Amino acid sequence: MSKRDSGAVETRPPRPEAASTHHRRSTSSRKSPRSSVGSTIVADSSTTTLGLIVKILALSMVTAVAIWAAFPLIDAKAWGWLAGEAVIVASVFFVYLRRPLPMKYLLPGTLFLLAFQVAPVIYTVSTAFTNFGDGHRGTKQEAITSIQTGSVKQVEGSTEYTLAVATRDSGELVFLLTDPDGQAFVGDADGLRKLGGATVDGGRVTAASGYTLLKLGQLSARNQEIGDLKVPTDNGAIIASGVTQAFEAKATRHYDPACDCVIDVETGTQWVADAETGSFVDASGERLPQGWKVNVGFDNLVSVATDPHISGPFVRTLIWNLGFALASTLGTFAIGLLCALAMHSDRVRGQKIYRALLILPYAMPSFAMLLVWRDMFNADFGLINRMLSLHVDWFGGPWTARAAAIAVQLWLGFPYMFLVSTGALQAIPKEMTEASQVDGATVWQAFRQVTLPLLLVALSPLLISSFSFNFNNFNAIYLTTEGAPFPADNTSVGATDLLITYTYRLAFGGAGAEYGFAAAVSIYIFTIVAVISAISFRRTRHQEEVYS
Amino acid sequence: MRIRTAGVTAAFALTLLASACGGNDDTSTDASAKDSAQAGGTLTIWADDKRTAALKPFAEKFGKENGITVEVQAVSKDLQSNFVTASQSGKAPDIVVGAHDWIGNLVQNGAIDPVQLSSTQKSSLADIALKGVTYNGQIYGVPYAIENLALIRNTDLAPTAPATIEDLVSSGKKLKASGKTSEIMSLQVGENGDAYHIYPLYTSAGGSLFGVKDNGDYDAKDLGVAKTEATAAFEKIAKLGEKGEGALKRSITGDNAIATFTSKKAAYLVSGPWALTDIKAAGIKYEVTPVPGFAGGKAAQPFIGVQAFYVASKGTNKVAAQEFVTNYVTQVDLAKALYTAEPRPPALTKALEEVSATDADAKAFMEAGKNGAILPAIPEMSAIWDPFGKAEAAVIGGADPATAIPAAAKAISDAINK
Amino acid sequence: MKRWFMRVGWRHLVGLGAVAFSLFPIVFVISAALNPLGTLSSTELLPTGATFRNAAQLFEKTEFGHWYLNSIVIAGTASVASMFLSLLAAYAFSRMRFAGRRVGLLALLLIQMFPQFLLIVTIFLIFTDISDFWPSVGFNTWWGLVLLYLGGALGVNTWLMKGFLDTVPKELDESARMDGASHVQVFFRIVLPLVTPILAVVGLLAFIGTINEFLMANVFLKDPQSKTLAVGLYGLVAGERNNNFGLFCVGSLLTAIPTVALFQFLQRYIVSGLTSGAVKG
Repeated sequence: MSKRDSGAVETRPPRPEAASTHHRRSTSSRKSPRSSVGSTIVADSSTTTLGLIVKILALSMVTAVAIWAAFPLIDAKAWGWLAGEAVIVASVFFVYLRRPLPMKYLLPGTLFLLAFQVAPVIYTVSTAFTNFGDGHRGTKQEAITSIQTGSVKQVEGSTEYTLAVATRDSGELVFLLTDPDGQAFVGDADGLRKLGGATVDGGRVTAASGYTLLKLGQLSARNQEIGDLKVPTDNGAIIASGVTQAFEAKATRHYDPACDCVIDVETGTQWVADAETGSFVDASGERLPQGWKVNVGFDNLVSVATDPHISGPFVRTLIWNLGFALASTLGTFAIGLLCALAMHSDRVRGQKIYRALLILPYAMPSFAMLLVWRDMFNADFGLINRMLSLHVDWFGGPWTARAAAIAVQLWLGFPYMFLVSTGALQAIPKEMTEASQVDGATVWQAFRQVTLPLLLVALSPLLISSFSFNFNNFNAIYLTTEGAPFPADNTSVGATDLLITYTYRLAFGGAGAEYGFAAAVSIYIFTIVAVISAISFRRTRHQEEVYS
Repeated sequence: MRIRTAGVTAAFALTLLASACGGNDDTSTDASAKDSAQAGGTLTIWADDKRTAALKPFAEKFGKENGITVEVQAVSKDLQSNFVTASQSGKAPDIVVGAHDWIGNLVQNGAIDPVQLSSTQKSSLADIALKGVTYNGQIYGVPYAIENLALIRNTDLAPTAPATIEDLVSSGKKLKASGKTSEIMSLQVGENGDAYHIYPLYTSAGGSLFGVKDNGDYDAKDLGVAKTEATAAFEKIAKLGEKGEGALKRSITGDNAIATFTSKKAAYLVSGPWALTDIKAAGIKYEVTPVPGFAGGKAAQPFIGVQAFYVASKGTNKVAAQEFVTNYVTQVDLAKALYTAEPRPPALTKALEEVSATDADAKAFMEAGKNGAILPAIPEMSAIWDPFGKAEAAVIGGADPATAIPAAAKAISDAINK
Repeated sequence: MKRWFMRVGWRHLVGLGAVAFSLFPIVFVISAALNPLGTLSSTELLPTGATFRNAAQLFEKTEFGHWYLNSIVIAGTASVASMFLSLLAAYAFSRMRFAGRRVGLLALLLIQMFPQFLLIVTIFLIFTDISDFWPSVGFNTWWGLVLLYLGGALGVNTWLMKGFLDTVPKELDESARMDGASHVQVFFRIVLPLVTPILAVVGLLAFIGTINEFLMANVFLKDPQSKTLAVGLYGLVAGERNNNFGLFCVGSLLTAIPTVALFQFLQRYIVSGLTSGAVKG
């Protein structure tokens, strides 16, 4: 295919339909984007009308969607959501009808960013000041409900009934019960009475005059009613279990607001609510498993700083973490760039095939390949030791494990850098490199003095973000070494542990997940990464201004 | 000016979120009431991928018989934590399928309700299975399968079952010396250890994890790993490790333990019923026997795990969920179908008998688990796995148990008492 | 000969070396996919048997066809949409000077740094409400997941594109503006065609990123038929990795196909975009 002729149409990137039709119309008369700059625009001075139409269409779409979205909100009386929606719509109208130019470009992405990234992050950070985690997820009321329903027990030695659920003609729900002797009863909120004239088949009432028996399908609509129907008895109440059995049961624990405590009826034990820890505690300090979420202030942040498990190995872990991130970023960049340079020539035959094969590591699902690599490094059965006739216990020694972790990361990451560098190299005009070679510079000099600096303009922000990504590259460690090897006298932090894998174990390794604590650790890590990134970012200002 | 606009947008987006996460209770119950008001209603079940496939036909049959829609959904990863999060936000399924050691965590999060079984239903289930799902004196789930470790032996290579672990090692060494195998045995350890798989040997050598309370529950305050018996037990295990007999190795991991056996690199495999599918596919003649203990030691106790169905506290169709779990899961046909999907011995005594008539493995695994210990369901158990496994891996790799085990014990008690 | 090596030969040497490095584990995966008893440790580098039983089983036993379709639709939609949003933002960051620009850029980067596994609970809460209000964009829907992915549209890729837009001289759009073009026209007509290579690269990166995304998709998609490849494949090896390793390998290899095909399709844009040397300033 001839690149030049078709270039203008082919390079058409995705864009809204209206704009692209418009674009096609105007491009038909020109050969290349550059040559047409002046003429097209003069010729198309009427496009502002079209732009206006597009704008009106788009804004009416937004309005339509907003109205569609508002109905369920009004229906559910979700005023908070409705207010949020109103703000979003208002901001869209403001930005596109009024002047703030940069916001016209930033708003669409920013709205999504705020809704699905910023808001969750802020909410999560706010949990750092609570005891949020397993056993402390909900409200106190939810904990009480759970304690009470969890204490419902069958009355010992009581009758087990076979159940059929029915309605009276009035529509009121009743239980038709059969005891093991075949005697039928009717039970409702007033109590249990014998039922005459019922047909009992297979131990269950199958018909009774004045009652309509219901099937499960009809019943699930009245779920709540069935759950709430308790037929009072001397020892407790008869409750349904499903729709075919019923038991005489009673709740053995209940909450007493007077003492703000939970009382066990059988043993008389009292668990008093402790608002500081969000749990019910008895006299001996024993806690009920169900607790609730309370604010703990700076407790989590303080305990991260003072916990010897964390502060002890912190510096060592941080250094390795920085090393890992640096080695991964620079290593993948070096390999990727080298490949991109090698392929950056029309003289290389099979260029396309090379390129396709080189991106394969990136195309495979990364978690799958991490698992495969882990197995290839196995000391006795792994492919690497077998093929190279080595006997290295890769994950057994701290330095071999670290080398292995970085090697895997190089494999996974270099195609990314290769792709990006390939794109970046295309953006550097050939004339510039050729000119420098004509001036008598060697290839290496041309690369050092012309190509690399230009590449870095485009790529240095990317290197920073790649560094930050690798700094927090959870899967790279979690799916390979899991932090191993661990010193025998300290099982909490291993030689290849990153701060993030280490946080994960701390937060989820104890008695249930501790989100509050994990969020507190994250705040520290986040601060470290932020400072490092911000400092390196400041240094790019200089480069950016080269072109501005 | 422009940025202030962005700031205002952000602030409003946040209030929007705060109201979303705060008191929205009435709106969500409104919505759920509306959902179930639709004719018939829906019963949603969450399970892992394998069980979803096995359950589906039965769930659909149940739905048809009862005029409701049943949806079986598979959660591929982190089923337990997904379920807890879903139930916290009110989007929980009605039923969840999982191992019994989840109960402690599910209860402390108020995610499941106790189930009421009739005395006939209770007596139709194996005692150990009922014991597994009983927590704080309440039955929290309906068990359908039991699983535990056993010794699986390649009968072509090793015709007789070893009585002790020492016998096993000497037989394994002979096979290795004659070149028939390359490993003495295959018991998964991995770089970070595996508390579940080492537990039979650990108990045989005299170790324990928790003391037992008067009501039969495990006592988290009474930590067995912190006792001197634990260190002594690991000294015995160290003798089987890489610096000793070489029977236990860190290079044998969960990824390759079964494959080592199926490719005839080892004549002995310590694994559970889930290994059988592969072993049969490889066409290996095998026999399932109890995991042997140390000569003169205590009995080797494998952990016993129970797979069960739970009724979610915050499901929208509790009545149907209770009906399914108590009266449908306790039917023999379903138990047998689940056994066919994956050969874990059924918890229903009758189903176990029917299955055993054609298949000796189920009984053999039950036999191997006869003196097993129920896997502790208390939330504190999750603090054990990681440090305990790591200490195990270190000891097998040649570290001194006298430093590794007390360090692990300290890490565990710190995590529990945090 | 030496001259040939200096100009072309070394390129092949580097290329072959890098291809060997990148293919080595993949060959291992291929032989496991062909091995009838495909397990991790029993597999040699070269296939010991050749059977398509694993591939056949993958389609029989699982909903692989559905997963494939879901992945392509979700990754396709999300990557195109997020690329567009990202490009718009990158244009603003590169071409306009406004208060908070650099802070905004840095914030974009930092937001991405927050551990995703901690965010799951909150995202679940948000989408619980969304599912109640608007079930068509809630859990178990393609659209809901695409919306969520759009939350990450402004991020690393914005940086990448901003970096490239910075290399397109400003004089170009300034002269167009002087000719009376509006900023929208400058954006669509002048800037876009010039950055085609990087659009292609970013599009590919976004596609790969979405097709491999796992954490959120696992929370979102629970019906076996609605899952994506990454989630479905993980389900195959979750728990006992041994059992389905052969199927898993076949699945992983098939997953790579759309990506490689897309790359082949985009290659010409990546390479041809600026051959005429448009950027001379």
